[in-house]
Amino acid sequence: MPLILILIFCSGIFSLNYIEKSEITIAKIMCIQNDLTSIISQKNNVPNTKTFTKNKKINIMKKVKFATFLLLFAIAGTEISAQSLTAQKIIENVYYRPTGADGTSELSMHLIDSRNNERIRQIKQFSKDFGKEEKSIMFFMSPADVKNTSFMNWSYDDASKDDDQWIYLPALKKTKRISSDSKDDSFMGSDFTYDDLGDRHPNEDNHKLLREETIDGKQCFVIESTPKDGDYMYSKTITWVIKDIWIGIKKEFYDEDADLLKVLTVKKYEKIKDYWVISNTEMKNIQDDHTTKMVLSNIQVDIGIDDNKFTERTMTRGL
Amino acid sequence: MKRFKYLLSGILSCVVGLSTVYAQNPDISGYVRNYTGMLTTGSNDFSIVQNTLNLDITGSKGNIAFKANPYVYQYFDKDLDWGIREAYLDLYVGNFDVRVGKQQIIWGKADGAFITDIVSPKDLSEFLLPDFEEIRMGVNAVKLDYYLKNNTFEFVWIPVFTETKLPDEKSIWFPQLQSQGIPVTFDHSNSEVDAKLENSELFLKYSLLSSAIDFELMAGYMWDDDFSAHNTPQVDSITNTMTGILIKPEYHRLGVAGGSFSTSLGGTILRGEAAYYMDKHFSTSDFINEGLVKKDYVHYLLGYDFSLFDITMSVQLIQEYIIDYTDQIINEEFENTATFLANKSFLRETLSLDLFAYIGLNNGDALIRPKATYSISDGLEILAGANLFIGDQGRFGQYDKNDMVFIKLKYSF
Repeated sequence: MPLILILIFCSGIFSLNYIEKSEITIAKIMCIQNDLTSIISQKNNVPNTKTFTKNKKINIMKKVKFATFLLLFAIAGTEISAQSLTAQKIIENVYYRPTGADGTSELSMHLIDSRNNERIRQIKQFSKDFGKEEKSIMFFMSPADVKNTSFMNWSYDDASKDDDQWIYLPALKKTKRISSDSKDDSFMGSDFTYDDLGDRHPNEDNHKLLREETIDGKQCFVIESTPKDGDYMYSKTITWVIKDIWIGIKKEFYDEDADLLKVLTVKKYEKIKDYWVISNTEMKNIQDDHTTKMVLSNIQVDIGIDDNKFTERTMTRGL
Repeated sequence: MKRFKYLLSGILSCVVGLSTVYAQNPDISGYVRNYTGMLTTGSNDFSIVQNTLNLDITGSKGNIAFKANPYVYQYFDKDLDWGIREAYLDLYVGNFDVRVGKQQIIWGKADGAFITDIVSPKDLSEFLLPDFEEIRMGVNAVKLDYYLKNNTFEFVWIPVFTETKLPDEKSIWFPQLQSQGIPVTFDHSNSEVDAKLENSELFLKYSLLSSAIDFELMAGYMWDDDFSAHNTPQVDSITNTMTGILIKPEYHRLGVAGGSFSTSLGGTILRGEAAYYMDKHFSTSDFINEGLVKKDYVHYLLGYDFSLFDITMSVQLIQEYIIDYTDQIINEEFENTATFLANKSFLRETLSLDLFAYIGLNNGDALIRPKATYSISDGLEILAGANLFIGDQGRFGQYDKNDMVFIKLKYSF
């Protein structure tokens, strides 16, 4: 008599929650990554070494400078006569800035809604320029549910080469390669989009010098930038650039209907070694009545970070 | 309650002791969670009401670090379940890392499929529904890593075997037993692997992380974490009829070799993983050799991660193949499965909607898990979801009566 004794079970086959949790968390963290990579990487920008025709969508090198605004390093004391400057040249002066060979800092981001409810994200970050490639690694310190998550990005001068990105999720105990996708939405729920944090090249916009103006006691050029791409998310931006040190101290973003959408304001900038560092900024969404404050602390530049810092070993071991 | 006091006392001793050793405060994080689930079929019974405390205690000084991960589960209908998921010391010496103690070791590039990821056994007492870190059990092991730039050589020695933890016989997750009405009895006399040196498990892995591709190569001399059922018919000597079946669960040695890879493909990710298992035991439909046969077996997967309309998606196709198959084997020669995941965030990423589907292609069964997660504030989230089992047989269809809805409230600190 044939007998069937079947023990049906899934042991050794799958963990569903693993898949689910892993992917969801990764999706969530990816949003954090792309933007923060920009923040970290900006320190290592070397002027005139990058090809401005890089793919905007996926090349983090394109994101490494916040162009005219966020947490950026600028050349101090560049001597260019204001009379000879065009709007294009002013924006290029902001864009092309020498920075340190490596650096580290702690980023604190405060998200404040219309009822003054606040959420805080904190990150420790390292970056280094290896010549043809730039590597960065960051560790998420808070909120608690992403604590000890780490992320590594390698970006390349080669415009045809996508960034390589990995994430280590401590709950999964695994380093996972993720795609270097880019989006126009906000990251980490902030008022910054990926593009806001990106490295928008001056040639992507038409620039017009509107006037010279004093803001917070600083002499500034006021530049209106209109995108050449009609599908760009903003119809125009207006930037206040401090003369001589080429820091964008304020920037207005206008939506597709030409209504004022957001205002970025630099609250603090300081000189560290030979670099100007913007260490405190605020982005206010006028239409949503929502604000994001970004504060950098413990900033160190040119400290000789070990090449081996940017490996899987560091990601898994943590800070 | 007494056990709980002992646990708390143990945790406290551990924390105080380690903090003394390291002359600095250890870092304590973790979460508290309520998990309430109700069956939607039948009488709306609560399938689970669970309260969890999970702690991660870590510290480091110089080239030494430690971690302890105690946990407590409290149920309305069961005793406290508590333990130490991980407790280990790390030593960092030059290019070497040594980890000694109870630890979870995770390998492979696949998401959720245990193909080369077979070092740590699984806790399946609540099927496959708990969070990942709760499914993987820690093992007492010595793990040695040698790093050469982005190359890693890993050696794992597990002196004492730990088997898969199965659900209690009264649990709704206890697997379907088909014996055509014939009584079944279990004899566990051979179901333990003695804790001695020759019963150790050994694993080796080489991995590379590079711009073009990440890959791993692995090999293991191990025990199959899942027992093999040695079946013996019980026959009435007078009537010469079968009166029952005696099942003796036993664990057997297994040789495994495999690898995995992951690479970028124009903004998407392609992943693959495969393993070759030597002399794996499979149950048969007769009693020859106690209803078991040894066959080589291949388990492999191809996965693709991408975004479409700002929705993060992932698809995996998985196949298991028994080499030199015979018709007496109960498992099918090819077992095909697929997974699908979609995720999208809203409201400044405080609301996340997810759909996970697992499809058994051989039996037409599936498990579908929609859920919504809302972050009330930093560290505090509420999750509502459902587990829907489709079909009436197969790995998921067997739980067709276990459809459930659930809510989780979790505070991380």
